[in-house]
Amino acid sequence: MRDKENIKELLDYFQTKEDKELQFEEEAIVSAYQNKNNNQSLAIKVLSVFGGLLASITFLGFLFIAGLYNSDVGLLIFGALCIAGAIWINKEYDKIIIDTVSVSSFIIGFILLSFGLDKLEMTENAISVVFIFIALLSLGIVQNYIISFISILIINGSILTLIISNEGYNLIHIYVAALALIVTYVFLKEAKIISTNKALSKLYNPIRIGSIFSLLSGLIILGKKGVLPIPTDYIWLSSIIFVSAIIYLLSYLFEVLDITKIQHKAGIYIFSVLLLLPTALSPAISGAFLIIMLSFLVNYKIGLAIGIISFIYFISQYYYDLNFTLLNKSILLFLSGILFIGLYFFTHKKLTSNEKV
Amino acid sequence: MTDIQREDIHIISRYSNLTEQGIEKALKENVYNDKEKWERFLRVFFITLGIGFTVSGIIFFFAYNWAELHKFAKIGLTQGLVIITTILVLYPKIDINIRSIILTGSAILVGVLFAVFGQIYQTGANAYDFFLAWTVFVTLWVIVSNFAPLWLLYLILINTTIILYSEQVAKDWSEVFVFTLLFIINTIALLLSFLLSKYKKLATIPNWFINTVTLASTSYATIGIVIGIFDKYQVVFPILIFITSIVFTLGIWHGLKAKSGFYLSVIPFNLIVIISAFLIKISDGEMMFLLVSFFIIASVTLVIKNLINIQKKWTNER
Repeated sequence: MRDKENIKELLDYFQTKEDKELQFEEEAIVSAYQNKNNNQSLAIKVLSVFGGLLASITFLGFLFIAGLYNSDVGLLIFGALCIAGAIWINKEYDKIIIDTVSVSSFIIGFILLSFGLDKLEMTENAISVVFIFIALLSLGIVQNYIISFISILIINGSILTLIISNEGYNLIHIYVAALALIVTYVFLKEAKIISTNKALSKLYNPIRIGSIFSLLSGLIILGKKGVLPIPTDYIWLSSIIFVSAIIYLLSYLFEVLDITKIQHKAGIYIFSVLLLLPTALSPAISGAFLIIMLSFLVNYKIGLAIGIISFIYFISQYYYDLNFTLLNKSILLFLSGILFIGLYFFTHKKLTSNEKV
Repeated sequence: MTDIQREDIHIISRYSNLTEQGIEKALKENVYNDKEKWERFLRVFFITLGIGFTVSGIIFFFAYNWAELHKFAKIGLTQGLVIITTILVLYPKIDINIRSIILTGSAILVGVLFAVFGQIYQTGANAYDFFLAWTVFVTLWVIVSNFAPLWLLYLILINTTIILYSEQVAKDWSEVFVFTLLFIINTIALLLSFLLSKYKKLATIPNWFINTVTLASTSYATIGIVIGIFDKYQVVFPILIFITSIVFTLGIWHGLKAKSGFYLSVIPFNLIVIISAFLIKISDGEMMFLLVSFFIIASVTLVIKNLINIQKKWTNER
């Protein structure tokens, strides 16, 4: 935890970054740091989520044994109360201690609502829309980390349900493309988003992790054949978005790496596109690569780990699915290996010679 | 200047009129990866992809010709690979970490060797003796290397051997007994690694290793007890409870002493699961489920509250 002196030093530092006189709410900052101390431990976060899940499961056991799931009105009222209660308690006391209570109540609420709405013979579409609406509303009212994260996952799940239950499988490309753009925007515009207002600033972390998980779920649907019967006609569509995003990111990278010559830039652009071209029909690879690049660019370790694991998985899936004989596959793998080793020595030489200049 | 983290920038921007440009500058200076880190990252990325693709290309090539190879060639090839990698490990010029990684690769290749052997002589690939042989023959390397990932592989092999043995040979062992056995073995491994890092100072044992083994050991104890609660009575059950209570007490004591929130959350959580199972055993009526649900919420909240208080005390002491 930072003490007052420490905070003072921080504020002085930030003043050097601005031209105009800065105004700080010092007391609010000090108390924010005191609350943050409670927030630090990952063990506590995991504990409250697991506790919440266990409590929800036993509570569902209670409902089923007691036969309370028979009354649709009861389910609806109780579900709505649970969600409202979870949001209210977070709004009222923003403390980590009540996370277990609010997480269980939030999850139970959504389960009860879905039972209740189903009893009223509402369609899956209508239920999904209601869920998206409620989750968005909760994001607007309360910005607690875990509740917001769960809300984003609920929104993602509802949109996927909408696509699947209407058999609009081609829409998945548009959805994943939109997710890719959102993730890219969230990562690159961190400063803009957190300076917009307090609510968005608090929502930044859960949105970032939530959108990565959502994008990942989309990539799995695209990358693993047979999860959904997606027609392959438009599969390159998502690839175009991913590759364009990666190309756009390269311009950021040039700035970091001090690459200024037009010829070098053009060479790298062309080379990257050629390298990604063979994966055009399995967009999950370039998608995972996009996650890796974005996460490394802003130094986000959890995202980087997710990106690397999914990258390895999708690459293996790609070679597994290829309709080649083992001999051709082995030659292809061997050649790509040699290409990357060559790339290693090339960049190694290039970078060290740059350092000398 | 104290080192500034992303969290600091977020909190201070929330309560000030910092502009987007100012935040951007602060993020770039303190949080985002710089040129040097990108260069290192790209190098590691290229060389890993290069070696990974090349090696899998070679393996695919053998797989392509596999069916036509003579059995001596098959075993010879795999053995050759084991020998080459092991010789590489003895080469003193290579960095010690990389040598340990290569040795871990050799240990996995030993498994491949036994799998090939089993395939040729039809001993069956998931028979327990396959894992037993694998475990026995890599023991020496594991001890010599003292490399945490290799130790973890070794523990996984031991666990797998025991589980397969209980399924394939010792069919009369009860589930509670199997879990008790697994719990005891993993706990011994855990205690040994504690003692080694404390008294021998052979090598620093990384936290992730100890935490993984702790999670495995406590989970075995909890699963064993939960099964024991619902199963018919057997002699081993009170023994399991006795050992568990000692180990859990030791764990809490260690957590308090080493100021580790990990033990102080894992062990209470396991206790909560055990107590919940016990309550449901008493009665499985609807009221009991409701009670258990509330019990879980209340007890987890209580644990978190205590953890926060203890952590506050620790930071003040520092």
